Amino acid sequence: MAKIRGSIVVNAERCKGCEVCMVTCPTGTIAMAKEVNGKGYNYAYPANPDLCIGCANCAMVCPDGVITVYKTKI
Amino acid sequence: MEKELRLMKGNEAVAEAAIRAGVDGYFGYPITPQTEIIEYLMEANPAETTGMIVLQAESEVAAINMVYGGAACGKKVMTSSSSPGISLKQEGVSYIAGAELPCLIVNVVRGGPGLGTIQPAQSDYFQSTKGGGHGDYHLIVLAPASVQEMADFVDLSFELAFKYRNPVMMLSDGAIGQMMEKVYLSPQKQRSTTVPIWATTGKPTTRERNIITSLDLDPHRQEIFNEKLLKKYNEIRENEVRFEEFQCEDAEYLLVAYGTSARVCQKSVQIAREHGIKVGLLRPITLFPFPSKRISELADQVKGMLSVEMSAGQMVEDVQLAVNGKVPVYHFGRMGGIVTTPEEVVENLKSKFLKG
Repeated sequence: MAKIRGSIVVNAERCKGCEVCMVTCPTGTIAMAKEVNGKGYNYAYPANPDLCIGCANCAMVCPDGVITVYKTKI
Repeated sequence: MEKELRLMKGNEAVAEAAIRAGVDGYFGYPITPQTEIIEYLMEANPAETTGMIVLQAESEVAAINMVYGGAACGKKVMTSSSSPGISLKQEGVSYIAGAELPCLIVNVVRGGPGLGTIQPAQSDYFQSTKGGGHGDYHLIVLAPASVQEMADFVDLSFELAFKYRNPVMMLSDGAIGQMMEKVYLSPQKQRSTTVPIWATTGKPTTRERNIITSLDLDPHRQEIFNEKLLKKYNEIRENEVRFEEFQCEDAEYLLVAYGTSARVCQKSVQIAREHGIKVGLLRPITLFPFPSKRISELADQVKGMLSVEMSAGQMVEDVQLAVNGKVPVYHFGRMGGIVTTPEEVVENLKSKFLKG
């Protein structure tokens, strides 16, 4: 069976740093950035991008819809 | 007409509700966590639809004085900010209260003091209910606990503001302002074309000049004016108290909480009742006027009260005054932008009232 690899893109400017995606991620891909966005929030970013399995849990729970998930078979 | 269902942030809901309530002008300055209000209004550009003016002022001080000017002309005007910005506006707020003008000020509270944090807090209770600015005045303070209420309270605020010729503060917080929830929006209202009789819009020959000022150099006249204000505040205390009760009928312990804390406490009541502790929740909707009478009545029924706030303990003082020593009243709260969890509240309740 082909393995699936995922990747996420975060719209950092719209992120409010609620951390819901971080706790939902089953593989610990997402962490909160040390830097802040224009509004002053520590935004979510893929700290361990290699761990992403493309499950899209993060995108589903994000209240502001700032995460886009891409999946590829390898 | 049917209400429209939308998924919105609390801040966006206030902005959309303002357009739909037929507000004449919004004057603001961006600050996290309320920036979405001005962003939404700028994008919606209601000047082209309802004729509502939206302006980003050069500072918070300028914004509140624009509100002062607009209100003096009898217009429905509002501003919004978050804690540090509201502190900057306080001189203007006092002048508006002193000139007896109606307006709406939205405060999406963040952690303090100083610049503090940008996460939710409820540490502006004293500032909102006890003054903030100088002089003997009160704001009518409404505390929404949902995105729906943030939308609904816009119309209610203007109704109260014009009824009593008094500024109204909507005391929200960074959680409700940023939270996405479904909200039923009221249909579009037309902007009012009638001008209140006290407004300064030019003097016709048929009446005396209208004067809007907060200055009187004669202390005797000023005292008479202060007494008039006091009478108005007492009337507000008598007629405009709003609160909500949750499982208070058989409660042995009472949680008192507003806004985000009240939402957390609803869950705490459930958890406590699963553990066999009969807990109820009283949520003040108006913080001024405070529901002292009802709290005093409940003090005859319960064994103790816990005021849950995201502050170091501010509303707890009003609860203690209302209870007047009948039962013990304690405070529990997280600070600095941290939101209490329901479990923490239950643990705290147990440790304070059910030791051993």
